[in-house]
Amino acid sequence: MAALSTEVLVIGGGATGAGVAWDAALRGFRVVLADRADLCEGTSGRFHGLLHSGGRYVVKDPRAAEECIAENRILREVSADCIEDTGGLFVTTPSDDEAYADRFAEGCRATGVDCEEVDPAEVLREEPRLHPGISRAFRVPDANIDAWKTVWALARGAHARGGARILPYHAVVGVHRRGDQVTGARVRDVRTGDELDVEACVTVNATGAWAGKVAELAGIEGVRVLPGRGIMIAMNHRLVNTVVNRCQMPTDGDILVPIRTVSVMGTTDVQTDDPDDHTVAQDEVDAMLEDGERLVPGFRQARALRVWTGVRPLFQDTKEDVASTRDVTRSHTLLDHAERDGVGGFVTITGGKLTTFRLMAEEAVDAVCRQLGEERPCTTRTERLRGSEEGEHYHLGERLGRREAGLHDDQLVCECELITRERLEESMRRRGTANLDDFRRVLRLGMGPCQGGFCIYRATGIMHALRGDPSGATPRGDGLTAEQANDALLGFLRERWKGVWPILYGDQLRQARLDDWIFQGVLDVGHLER
Amino acid sequence: MTDVLHELLRGSLDHCVKCTICETACPVSNVTPLFPGPKYAGPQAERYRVGDEPSVEWSVDYCSGCGICTQVCPQGVEIAEINAQARRKLKQQKGVPLRDRLIARPAVLGRLGTPVAPLANASLRSKPLRAVGERLLGVHREAPLPRFAGRTFSAWAGRHSSPAAARRVVYFHGCGTQYYEPEVGEKTVAVLEHNGYQVEIPKQDCCGLPLQSNGLFDDARKYVLRLARALAGHARDGALIVGNATSCTLMLKREAREILGLAGDPELKLVSERTYDVCELLLELHDRGELATDFQPVEEVVAYHAPCQQQGHWIGKPALELLALVPGLEVRELNARCCGIAGTYGIKREKYDIAMAAGADLFEQIRASQAGLVACDSETCRWQIEHGTRKPSAHPIELLHRAYRLPRPAAFPPSQPDARPAG
Amino acid sequence: MRTSLHYDAVVIGAGVAGLTAGTRLAEAGARVCVLAKGVGSTHLAGGTVDVLGYDPGRVEAPARALPAFVEARPDHPYALLGVDAIPPALEWFAQRIERGPQPGYRYLGSLERNHLLPTAVGVARPSALVPETMAAGELGAERPVCLVGVRILREFHASLCAANLARLGVEARRVELGLDIDRPEVNALGLARRFDDPAFRRDFAASLARRLEGEERVGLPAVLGLRDPHGAWSDLEDRLGRPVFEIPTPPPSVPGMRLYEALRAALRAAGGRLVVGATVVGAKRDGAQVSALRVDTAGRETTFGARWVVLATGGFASGGLALGSDWVVRETVLGLPLRGVPLPGTARFLPDYFAEQPMSRAGVAVDATLRAEDLENVLVAGAALPGAEPWREGSGEGISLTSGHRAAELVLAANGLAAAA
Repeated sequence: MAALSTEVLVIGGGATGAGVAWDAALRGFRVVLADRADLCEGTSGRFHGLLHSGGRYVVKDPRAAEECIAENRILREVSADCIEDTGGLFVTTPSDDEAYADRFAEGCRATGVDCEEVDPAEVLREEPRLHPGISRAFRVPDANIDAWKTVWALARGAHARGGARILPYHAVVGVHRRGDQVTGARVRDVRTGDELDVEACVTVNATGAWAGKVAELAGIEGVRVLPGRGIMIAMNHRLVNTVVNRCQMPTDGDILVPIRTVSVMGTTDVQTDDPDDHTVAQDEVDAMLEDGERLVPGFRQARALRVWTGVRPLFQDTKEDVASTRDVTRSHTLLDHAERDGVGGFVTITGGKLTTFRLMAEEAVDAVCRQLGEERPCTTRTERLRGSEEGEHYHLGERLGRREAGLHDDQLVCECELITRERLEESMRRRGTANLDDFRRVLRLGMGPCQGGFCIYRATGIMHALRGDPSGATPRGDGLTAEQANDALLGFLRERWKGVWPILYGDQLRQARLDDWIFQGVLDVGHLER
Repeated sequence: MTDVLHELLRGSLDHCVKCTICETACPVSNVTPLFPGPKYAGPQAERYRVGDEPSVEWSVDYCSGCGICTQVCPQGVEIAEINAQARRKLKQQKGVPLRDRLIARPAVLGRLGTPVAPLANASLRSKPLRAVGERLLGVHREAPLPRFAGRTFSAWAGRHSSPAAARRVVYFHGCGTQYYEPEVGEKTVAVLEHNGYQVEIPKQDCCGLPLQSNGLFDDARKYVLRLARALAGHARDGALIVGNATSCTLMLKREAREILGLAGDPELKLVSERTYDVCELLLELHDRGELATDFQPVEEVVAYHAPCQQQGHWIGKPALELLALVPGLEVRELNARCCGIAGTYGIKREKYDIAMAAGADLFEQIRASQAGLVACDSETCRWQIEHGTRKPSAHPIELLHRAYRLPRPAAFPPSQPDARPAG
Repeated sequence: MRTSLHYDAVVIGAGVAGLTAGTRLAEAGARVCVLAKGVGSTHLAGGTVDVLGYDPGRVEAPARALPAFVEARPDHPYALLGVDAIPPALEWFAQRIERGPQPGYRYLGSLERNHLLPTAVGVARPSALVPETMAAGELGAERPVCLVGVRILREFHASLCAANLARLGVEARRVELGLDIDRPEVNALGLARRFDDPAFRRDFAASLARRLEGEERVGLPAVLGLRDPHGAWSDLEDRLGRPVFEIPTPPPSVPGMRLYEALRAALRAAGGRLVVGATVVGAKRDGAQVSALRVDTAGRETTFGARWVVLATGGFASGGLALGSDWVVRETVLGLPLRGVPLPGTARFLPDYFAEQPMSRAGVAVDATLRAEDLENVLVAGAALPGAEPWREGSGEGISLTSGHRAAELVLAANGLAAAA
């Protein structure tokens, strides 16, 4: 049995876990981070991309609002490159209670969320797709944040600054206890089956919606996390360039977030038992389309690309009972199990939202320090992430500008998302994975309107050419077989279909049938030799 | 109002399924890597454009605006229109060069050049002066520039009195006819009158298309709305508006409304509904059995090229059907996309070579057709064709005029070389 | 204010079915106009004529397999048309290609035996008629294969293709060839234009010949010329001294474009009109007859009077059928009644991508004479017909050609006219 010894083992590679790794590494700890899948594939990879101003919570959950605005300001500095400063709006549509607007304004004042009332006519000039019947409007500092960029910047930063070992595709199969002390965990590489024991002084359970399950592995009961499943729909282009919220108590389908080349409509909240529940219910989809029309008339004629679900981790103190998961606090929860359960070497950080990941990580690493009897101050409030050193925010035009600057240098593999061959090959060389979805996540390969129709055959062919040359003359020379390449291609098509079929209508159905023409017709991948 | 329409035009990008059909048809991207193609510049790049952020592009400037992409797109993406918006934003940011401001105003140039036509024409044909022009202004020294006629069509129109008839039609002649080819206008009027129309020729000016193509949207709007006002009054009385310049009639029919965001203007809407290409109108007459078919033989082999902006009318090729009625006339339909000139695009120094490469296929087909004459509905295309093939070119209406054996236009000095067909 | 033109037949759609129906009608002397919203789907398909490839196992000989196929599928277009309607349609097509603008270019094959040709990813795929430029890729033959990859052409990946062919037991390898083209990317059409140039072919062949070994035949992506594919292909075979074949690529499909040009030329030669860019937005009805079509032309609507209408607008992929966000399927031009649409409340799609999707066999309801329900003079042809799964069956072009061919015949018969073969 292979073994690793470290100081802090972080289980969970979403924003919180990666944030813990970064924070701990900056504080001089040796860190190992493990996630059962690719980094940022859990809830962090499945949200709508909103960097909250806190406006959403000013009436319902003021503490969450205060945390949000504070973190919003910090993240704009330290992870500037991961954030696009779209600004945000809260608007009262004809479907909303007019009286809420004043409560909203007062709530912003009380919680310190920057808020400025603006003339609806001005808003409609800026965002002509919005409902013309808007009666009130407020500007807030919402923005969008690219979760993958952020998580990878955190993970790479932890590695660069503190030698952290980052282990995606390593599932925790057991948590080690010695008496009332957690001493680490056993992880299994799901790709190879190899197992590895990681010995750690403190283990941080940053698995979000799965926190209860991991705590159970450590023999700790009563960590009750209610998964709240919500759907989100990516619309093919930016219907708006500002984050738009309905000005009302938080409810379903009340946010439209422009992020990268799409606008994301969300979300719903359905209590489920299983954090891996990715059911997309038809009635939720239909309701979301209706909600879309309330904000943007003609929403139904716009093109929906894909629907997916994210599972919120909603921690519920077992002493209380709540009817709907939406009523559970959206503020996060830190469980120092040494204090709570008498089990040392184990800390759980759960709940919260992506906007507050840094704060959650800070609290978690503070708890780690306490358990170890160390005083090491947190520096993540000011320490800039890799790529954000200049403090420049992301602009949507970046990829296009880069492409225009290098128009004659290289070919585009994924045209929708402007990914060049060099960029793809570099990524393929760097990551040993043969799973095209891994590249989809970091590069947005196949995430545009054609959903891989034109680029996935290319990407598979390129991957095989790069790594499948039997002469071994290629950089990796790990002899990627045709079967593996085929599996990558077919796997991508299957995975993509999961998010496409529940929302398939209109232009996207036409696209899907054209893609079928190419894959099942011209290429005949359905008959690839198994 | 403009913004909502722009958003909906922009929204047509949703129909793009990346099928590449537009790329196969684009005459520019097929001959130069400077333009990555309509799919890239239109629906694809549009997803990256944010209204109030500066343009990060340069390649969309190489789109010629021919509109073939929109025509062939089976999904209904308004590709050329999206490109036009992006190009305009780019030009506003970088500043529109003096050259573009000048060549976008053919009416102004026409008024300046007409009184001094012999001198102006000599200058435009002087190699040294053209070389200087290329350096100073950026108009390619070999670009096909027209000759000033030395007289205006409207001067003739002022003296001409159209015989009264039950049917009336309003003639929109365009700048090409006005300053460079007035005899084409005279022939057009004659053919219409021969078919029983009383032809009214109101005072009129440029449709603004070259201004639009060069990103000067505000000026383009002024021109086209002024033209719409001039024509609308007559159209309201039930008359149809007919033109021989297919690019200009397309501007009135739809481009101004779509690209300049003027769909809400009631006079322009009326005008656009009433505007006909002259061949389109005559073919409809023929369909009703009302076309004068007293054609005499014209023994000639003619190659016909439908300009891209004629195809943009979406009416097929009515000129072909009309020419087929002329006995003795052997018409060879050319199957090339574009002559390359695209209005003012091909005369620009940095685009001339691209335009000539784009038109090369057409030029080759013309040569292979062994036709003695090329018929084509757009004057800028005719000048490009003559430049690229050294063969004479005529508007289809001129062939009909000849077949009808109508009298030669007024006895003024010929404005074009003698290669034009007689009568 | 009316604008109108009158035709004996108006065909809506310029794909294979539409162009076939329109041309055949024009050849019989009818006044025909083909209206197309854009250029047809020919540019997207591989360029082969697939009649029956899978049932669901691979079909060796369509002639033998078709009778059982239609008996098991009474709702299939082939059952409606009758399998006897297929050979004359194929014959008609083959002749139009031979008479077409690409000198010497022809299609080879018959219903007796499917060709088995490689796809660009390395699958062995059956097709009944194939361009002569593809035939030497027959995977049944023993001769080793050398695939030529060109980096700047993104639509073909020789490494993966060769590796998959090898798994099928074909002796296959690949070479990567650099071209003297100063661009990082070129599409199949751009390359095909260059292959139309003898000087380019000469240089290409010289550079490739050095790399070839033994008896191997040469497989290229489908770029062997747009204008003169026969010339380009035979020139290369001569220069290389070995068989050469091209492999269909994802769009843009050069063989598909050649097919379009040939059918378009046939239509024009027969005196038919083609209007590209005209979108049919509605129809005028007179009882059970459509009397005219309302068409969006620049500036206004134009009315096309028609005694007969052939609807060849395709399925979902071509926009002939559409599914709204209200989950209702519609035929997009005339709103005709449909067949094969999953009932409301039942699954439209299944979570398994490779399963047959319930929505896929939807189409316009027609009777045995291809007439749309409730209308006397509207016939339907091509992928708009219900009951087929063209890509899984390998039947797309067979259905389009046969139904287009037959639709013309039915219109002419109704007028007391016979169609030419």
